[in-house]
Formats: sequence, C-alpha cells, structure tokens
Amino acid sequence: MKILAIETATPASSVALGDGGSLAAMAVRVDRRGHVGFLMPAIEFCFEQAGWEREEIDAVAVDVGPGPFTGIRAGIATAQAFAAGVGVPLIAVSSLMVQALRAATGHRRIWSVVDMRRKQVAAAPFRPLPGGVAPDGMAEVLGFEEFRAVLDTDESDMLVVGDWQALPEATWGGLHRVRRGRPRFPAADVMLEIAAIRAAHGDFVAGEDVRPAYMREPDVQINWKMFRSEGLWP
Amino acid sequence: MNDPLVLGIETSCDETGVAVLEGFNVRSFVLASQTEEHARFGGVVPEVAARAHVEAIRPLVHQALASAGVHSDQLDAIAATQGPGLIGALMVGFAFGKSLAWTLEKPFYGIDHMEGHLYAPRLEFAEYEPPAVVLLASGGHSQIVHVRAWGEYETLGATIDDAAGEAFDKLARFVGLGYPGGPAIDAEAEGGDPAAVPFPRALRDRPFDFSFSGLKTSVVTYLEKARDNDELPPRADVAASIQEAIVDVLVEKTFNAVEETGVKTVGGGGGVLANRRLRERLNEEATRRGVRLFVPSIRMCTDNGAMIAAVAVDRIRAGTPSDGLGSDVDSSLRLGS
Ligand SMILES: [Zn+2]
Repeated sequence: MKILAIETATPASSVALGDGGSLAAMAVRVDRRGHVGFLMPAIEFCFEQAGWEREEIDAVAVDVGPGPFTGIRAGIATAQAFAAGVGVPLIAVSSLMVQALRAATGHRRIWSVVDMRRKQVAAAPFRPLPGGVAPDGMAEVLGFEEFRAVLDTDESDMLVVGDWQALPEATWGGLHRVRRGRPRFPAADVMLEIAAIRAAHGDFVAGEDVRPAYMREPDVQINWKMFRSEGLWP
Repeated sequence: MNDPLVLGIETSCDETGVAVLEGFNVRSFVLASQTEEHARFGGVVPEVAARAHVEAIRPLVHQALASAGVHSDQLDAIAATQGPGLIGALMVGFAFGKSLAWTLEKPFYGIDHMEGHLYAPRLEFAEYEPPAVVLLASGGHSQIVHVRAWGEYETLGATIDDAAGEAFDKLARFVGLGYPGGPAIDAEAEGGDPAAVPFPRALRDRPFDFSFSGLKTSVVTYLEKARDNDELPPRADVAASIQEAIVDVLVEKTFNAVEETGVKTVGGGGGVLANRRLRERLNEEATRRGVRLFVPSIRMCTDNGAMIAAVAVDRIRAGTPSDGLGSDVDSSLRLGS
C-alpha cells in the first residue's frame, strides 16, 4: 500500500512516500514558517525521486498535532486536497506518537513533548513494546513547572523526547530517573510506519473528520480600551 | 478558446468562499460565513477564523463543484487568495488550492484579494470597464483605487487608522448594538435623523485618505457628556448620525478621486458597500455628476470565491503563466506591487 505522509506539526516539516512501511522518498526542512511554500515542492520532489504517479497513492497520512496550529492547518489542508483530488482516504497521526515511536528503544517509559510556545508543552507518556510503543496515559498541555511536577511523581525510569530544549534547564535539576533523548521533532518517515499499520487495519478517517489536535482554546483578547462603557440606552 | 472553468477559493478573513466560474459566468457560489462565531467577541478573532476555515474548506469545495455540475477533472485552473488578510486564515485556502491543483495537474493562481474586489462587478455588469475609480471598504480594508486598465492599479487613498467596517463595529458596540456593526447600525439608523448630531468628518486636507479615529473619540465624548447631562438623544438618531458621518467621508473621497482622475466610471466592493445609505448616496452623487456606478449585489460585494476566480479567468485568457509550486501567502500584499 502506497502512502504519502505529511508532517508540519512542528518547526521541522517533512514529506515522505512509502510502500508498506518501506521508505521510497523523503524531503525535510527545519523552519518555523513557510510550511505552505515548502510542502508542494517537497511533495513533487518525492514523487520524482520515487518515480511514482499521483494516482498510485492509496492513502494520505497527516500529522494532526499537537503543535503550533498554523503549520498543522497547512498540512491538513494540503492532505485533504490531495486525498480529495485522487479520491483516497486519510490517516490522522499524532505528533507525540510519532516522536515516541522513533524513540522506542529499551525499557524506559517515554515522555513525548512538543513545544506549544507560551511556556507550555503538550506531553504524553508511552510504554515501549516489542516493535513499537503504546500510549500510557492522556496527552495534556502543561506549563513548564507542571511538567516538572509530573516527572517528579512518575516513579519509572523515563526517557523524555521531543523538543525538550524548549524547557528551561532548571526543569531537569535533580531528576535522576530521567534521560533526555532524540528525536527532537516528529518526521514523516516514522509516520509511514504508523500509517502502514493503521491502513492494514482499515483505520482511516473521513476527510471532514480530520481536525487539528488543538488541545487549547483560542485565546481571545479584544482590546476595547477606548470604550469604557457600553449600552447607554436601556 | 472556450471560457475557462475556474475554481476560486477565498479564506482571507471570516468567510470561506468557494465558487466555480465559466468565464465570467458564475456556475456556483458557496459561502460559509463565520459572523456568528465572532459575534461573542465583537470582532474577527484570527485563530477562530482559521479554525473555521480548515473545517469548512473541504466540504465547501465539494459543494461548489457539485452544484456547478463540474467534475474536478474538467477544471482549467484553480485560484486562491494569496493576500492581504489574516495569515493563518489565508494559509488554509491557499494550501488547499495549491495541493488540489498539483494533484489534478491543473495550473494554480494566487490572487490578490483586493484585485478580486475590483473584479467582482464584472461578474454582474458586462459594461463595467476601466478607467474607473473604485471604493473598496470592509472590516479589514478601506481604500480608493484608480483602475487604469485591468492589471494596472493605483491606490489613491486609504485609511490611515481603522477600516470603515472596523469603525462601524466599534461604534455599534459602543452604542450597544451588536456585531457585525455595519448591518446593526444600518438597521437602527432607519427612521433616525442623520443630522441629529454633527459628528466630525475628518481629513479635509487629504483628499483621498480616510481616518475614523477622530469620529470614534467624538462619538464617545459626545455620548458620555449627553448621558451625564441626562440628555441622551434617541439611539436611532445617534446611529443615523454615525452612519451619515462615515458615509459622507467615503462618498466625498470617492468623488474627489473621480474629479482628480476625470474617469466616468465608479465601482465599489467590500462588505461596507452593503450599507444601504452608502449605496443610496453613491447613486445620488453618480447620477448628479453623470458618472456610471457599478456596485454589485451584496453577496458579490462581500468576500467570496467568485471574485478570486474572476481574476484567474482573465489571467488565463491573457496567457499569464500560473504560479509556481513554491508560492506562499503574503498577508501584507499590496495592490499593484
Ligand atoms: Zn475583502
């Protein structure tokens, strides 16, 4: 089964083509902005590298986050249009899961984190299994200190992966059970592994059900300084 | 050449608009308006807008093609708004359009939103041709454009602070009318006396530029004083007076530009052109001066996908090359640059 994977949930964008879990082509770029300028040239490049036609694709996998929203929406819009254009289903993948799967070695409990900016991370624990990982708790958006508190109460040996460099160094002081490791960002080639398994189980998502995993309400700040009162009439 | 079939996508602000044109003939026109979602915040919230676009875009494109009776393979091109607008909102439609175009192996055109507004009257009036002066006014933009020829534009004047629609929104909120402010004031002003309160008309010394901050301050000061003295006039009078002040400025500046350029054609676009008093006054003034006025229907004045497709239709007819795969949105795109 041939799959196109689109990853824009973090500053590292990537696109990959794979067949049954084996990688046929990949393009990567690390840049906070410009997902829209990168994606289509990257997709075209991958198709040329692989020597595939658009119509050969059986499914499109897209990272729905958590992560910065603008990039995720660019990825979802691109994936939805491609899927609609060739008439294939979508597979929604979590950024935290992608990072955890790449990290899956040994026995440590994996904490996968994504920088949500404004001094918050999205974090979720995963348990390593032979050949993969399994979610081991809920994904949550946490302040830096809250995340530290979570690690403090976790009694396992832990491996933190993802963009932990976004957290202050003080977060890690005295945490002897915690190691920090790679990857820093999710990547499309790992998405292909998840997508291949999902596709084998027929685990697809309808186009309209692919939504970003925001995990945070839009913060609305309207500046009405000038208006000290409203509704003068009864 | 047959009239090209073009899918147009607009997501620069708070309307997801998709349309299919065959030449300048509108085959389908679909719109998801987010007004309700923004009403509780009293204005367009960029993150809320972007969230709504990403949910609406796929079903709307589907609906636009279906109601046009057009299969995506039949399209000659796909166009999407490149800017100006809210960056997160623009990205949704632009990414979707570009990806669909590449997937279907069709040319893609990134279109200037303001040029779309300039083109909108063409979809309803075959006689609308440059040279023309066009008033573009909405919640996000207010400017007067001299259209010398299609593709040749000069912005003669623009707002130096709030856009006209923003002024309506803020003042409507202040007098306790809802969001969006334009329609709310329009409705309340009905039966009110537009001469009840002589609010200021600013920037007499800059013939084509607008400013609405002075008006806002003046309304607030006036009403607070009136309230303290227990002499609040009827709200309808205040609404009519506010509306008259804004409309006066828009009409005066537009016809200053008509005089300066000597054109015989005036056009209009943007959500504020839905205001009945503005349409009436533009009409009066155009008739008085023997100038032809082309203000399209309200649905064509507000943001929509048809106007975006219209610009692309002209590009295709002119043999303009399509935009490259690496093209990106530009939230501060400027007409004529
Ligand atoms: Zn507009």
